[in-house]
Amino acid sequence: MPRPIWSGSLSFGLVNVPVKLMSATRDLGVHFNQLHEKDKARIEVRRVCTQEDVEVPWEEIGRGYELDDGQIVMLTDEELEAADPKNTIDIEAFVDVEEIDPVYFDHPYFLVPDSNEAAVRAYHLLRRVMESSGRVAIARFVLRTKEYLVAVRPRGNAISLTTMRFHDEVRSPEDVGLDGLPKAKKAQVDQAVQLIEGLTTDFEPERYEDEHRKRLLAIIQQKRKGKEIEIPDEPETPKAVPDLMAALEASIQRMKDGGGDGGDGEAKLERMPKKELLERAKARGVEGRSQMSKDELVEALSRS
Amino acid sequence: VPVKVYPAAQSKQIRFRELHAKDAAPLEHRRMCSKEGKEVPYDEIVRGYETAPGRYVVLTKEEIQAAAAERGKTIDLEDFVPGDEIDPVYYDTPYWLGPQAGAEEAYGVLRAALEKAGVVGVGRFVLRTKEQLVAVHAVDGALRLDTMRFHDEVIDPEDLDIPEPAKSVTDREAKMADALVSSLEAEFDPAEYEDTYRERVLEVVMAKAKGEQIVPSEPVSDGDGSADLMALLEQSLGGAKKRSGGAAKKSTRKGAGKSKTRARR
Repeated sequence: MPRPIWSGSLSFGLVNVPVKLMSATRDLGVHFNQLHEKDKARIEVRRVCTQEDVEVPWEEIGRGYELDDGQIVMLTDEELEAADPKNTIDIEAFVDVEEIDPVYFDHPYFLVPDSNEAAVRAYHLLRRVMESSGRVAIARFVLRTKEYLVAVRPRGNAISLTTMRFHDEVRSPEDVGLDGLPKAKKAQVDQAVQLIEGLTTDFEPERYEDEHRKRLLAIIQQKRKGKEIEIPDEPETPKAVPDLMAALEASIQRMKDGGGDGGDGEAKLERMPKKELLERAKARGVEGRSQMSKDELVEALSRS
Repeated sequence: VPVKVYPAAQSKQIRFRELHAKDAAPLEHRRMCSKEGKEVPYDEIVRGYETAPGRYVVLTKEEIQAAAAERGKTIDLEDFVPGDEIDPVYYDTPYWLGPQAGAEEAYGVLRAALEKAGVVGVGRFVLRTKEQLVAVHAVDGALRLDTMRFHDEVIDPEDLDIPEPAKSVTDREAKMADALVSSLEAEFDPAEYEDTYRERVLEVVMAKAKGEQIVPSEPVSDGDGSADLMALLEQSLGGAKKRSGGAAKKSTRKGAGKSKTRARR
């Protein structure tokens, strides 16, 4: 199990569940080290006191806040703790997850209960009621030197915690000058909707691989073998299509051609959301459809 | 559709500066060569990928960019999916998309069509030098692009070995807990939540600037991990019920937060 980032307690009414916070993501990024070009030695970042010009060890580093007049106020860890002595994740409300715009979600974590029976039972009780009521808890807590608004919700057999942005950390379209955009013409929108519906499928995260990571690792391998790396030209920014209606029609035609004779090829069915497959199965009277998995529905429909 | 990209979020975290504790002098970060022990100017620094301990493959900026260039500057929408099927765990950083001059019409059509079809476009896009998986939504009259995590970057709850209770949750406990959840139900209104910590830290800073002594408050005990779960649920529910008597939901929630803290102390 990864190392906990924080430990404290999750508080729900008067019930306190001792928990640890773990990241719910793993870093698979390709990381580079800074090297000194001439001797390929690692670059080390050293912290140097600007007054004494000597390196400062970790334990001598303090934290300062600069006031508007330039005065710097130094705070110790203990003094900073005075701003938040609780060390708890306080649940304030339960809301419907669909009411939360994803723009608010920041980083996902898991909460893991302490291993004593009381903590484990309270943890699973909360997980179970959130699951059955379809509600997520909105809570807040302080991690390092920032307070977070968080969404606490069930994920599988665990409780996840996602840090959220505060409303004043989110920009509206008006804030970036995106207002007064022209309205679209209905005929064009209808064409585009037809195109979009033809390309609508279920969200299956496994279908998307990080191709960039793979290409970057391949480039590193080539370079290691001493091969020259081909540098592609800077791609041109595409221009807006002059005739939008014609482009939409051509796209729809291309999509239809891709789908074969317009019938229900297996490949086409596989792309459909399960909801739509169920509707088609109902229309065709496929028996036992409500118990079928998506793959079984595809198979039944392509046979019928 | 030619578009421009604008960040849709900005962190308002309090920034502290690193200081040398004994003389309160600011610290400077210096890049030093680990072999020579001398400071290295920026133009002598290259990027290396470690293939074995101490062995590096050096790549130029252009070579690193070569991995991204294949797709060019287009956001390729590969699929359209119902937005509620995307677990929030996949969302990373939000941006607004604005039309470039001359592209307003096409932008408007895509926006209106996404809204009408009730779906989200999923595709790929090179942001700076990295190709990202992105979701494009129609929100608040504009198009928003959210970068997303790839499936292998997301940890599955099954990998965590969450302990299971020896004695499973009873129906009575579940009913009580459910009533407690109901008593705290609310609509999500982001504007109701302010970052109060930011203000509290600034208060501490100002007090210290005036030469006041900061007395850290006693740490609050976490208790022993809810020994008698049923009794605690009953007490919490009693409190929540009393508070909600006649009051609007909004004020109930604020009241609940405060009295909860008092009760624990």
